[in-house]
Amino acid sequence: MRGLHPFTLLTVAAALPALAWIGPAPWGGAAALSAAGVLVLSLGGRQSFRVARAAVFTATPLWFFLYLLQGSGGMLATGLRLTTMIAGGVWLVAVLPPPRLIEAMIAREWPVSVAFLLAATLSAIPALRARAGHLVDAQRSRGLRTRGGPLIRLAALRALALPLVLSALHEVDERAMALETRGFDPQVRRTPLAPPPDSLAQRISRWGLVLSCVALLVWRIA
Amino acid sequence: MPVRLLVLIPVAVAINLALSAAVDAVALPLFLDTTGTILATALGGPVVGVITGVLTSTVNSLRNPTFWPFVVVQIIVALYAWVAARSGWFRSLKTAIPAGLMLGVIASATSTPISYLIFKCATTGGIALTTKLGQLLGFSPLGACFFGSFVADFGDKAVTFALVTSVLHALPRRTAARFPLALRAIGATS
Repeated sequence: MRGLHPFTLLTVAAALPALAWIGPAPWGGAAALSAAGVLVLSLGGRQSFRVARAAVFTATPLWFFLYLLQGSGGMLATGLRLTTMIAGGVWLVAVLPPPRLIEAMIAREWPVSVAFLLAATLSAIPALRARAGHLVDAQRSRGLRTRGGPLIRLAALRALALPLVLSALHEVDERAMALETRGFDPQVRRTPLAPPPDSLAQRISRWGLVLSCVALLVWRIA
Repeated sequence: MPVRLLVLIPVAVAINLALSAAVDAVALPLFLDTTGTILATALGGPVVGVITGVLTSTVNSLRNPTFWPFVVVQIIVALYAWVAARSGWFRSLKTAIPAGLMLGVIASATSTPISYLIFKCATTGGIALTTKLGQLLGFSPLGACFFGSFVADFGDKAVTFALVTSVLHALPRRTAARFPLALRAIGATS
């Protein structure tokens, strides 16, 4: 499964929830969720378990809220669709490492700025989250009160958020200069180091999935 | 797009997703997950803001795919922030907080149809419970869903606007001047 082209994996992950929503409830959702289950099981061993666990942990609260708001009938119809969406998403994350997607985009001559945005965002988030954690610890050690009435908490929030956001913004200049000194040009086309292989069969499968969704939609509307 | 604005986008997405640590520390019922989007728009304009919003939803979807349908809300927030920046609503808290409250109404009106049609209003714990409260108060299903979204968004967006205003005013003028819209947003230029 990991050998498939990233665009094929993306198409499968998008088609599953689309089919679940377009198909009649609850059988459309049940069929799409079964297909997603097969994909998760095909990962094999511990990875199947990890992906299934992530999907169950994400979906379970939604089933509870659906029961609270819609009763058992509504819970089943919508729950199956939402769980398909979640299972398809966590499966995609497990089989498609972002660098492989970026290579595929560059190979298809997508603008290099798109690839940069994806890669830079994925590296910036954990760094800023870690800094946020350090900042919370530092401000608490300086005696910042984070408990009390709403106004005290809002003042504490400002004392935590403001330095975090300002420090992040100050990095923008440094990063921009670093990129410019290295000759970064969003207009220049790049050559991928290891472009993921694609095949005619995969292209036909992708279009087949898209056309299946359209055909099902037309059938449902007619 | 200039490199500085291109670099601003990942930083703004990270701000959207990292502020939850500060919110958790003070245990307030807020998200602040559009702070980076609003800030990016106020500094770089609507295209930068919209890309930040779309990228935030995309990255959030890697963790929980149910976030993806709400990408529309991020886009609406970016467009509204552009209007706010052009109109100078970030010039003080007196103008920013009402603008944020208005965004709360717009954001909840935008998220309600998505939440109702796709999730039957069962999105997060807080929103599901306030929707249930709306049902018990006798609202229609759609009205209860709006009630749930409104309670979650109204205060959140006002605090977000206030925070962005504080950040814009705390930025050194020389730094702010490097971004096309920043000085106009705080009313320093017309």
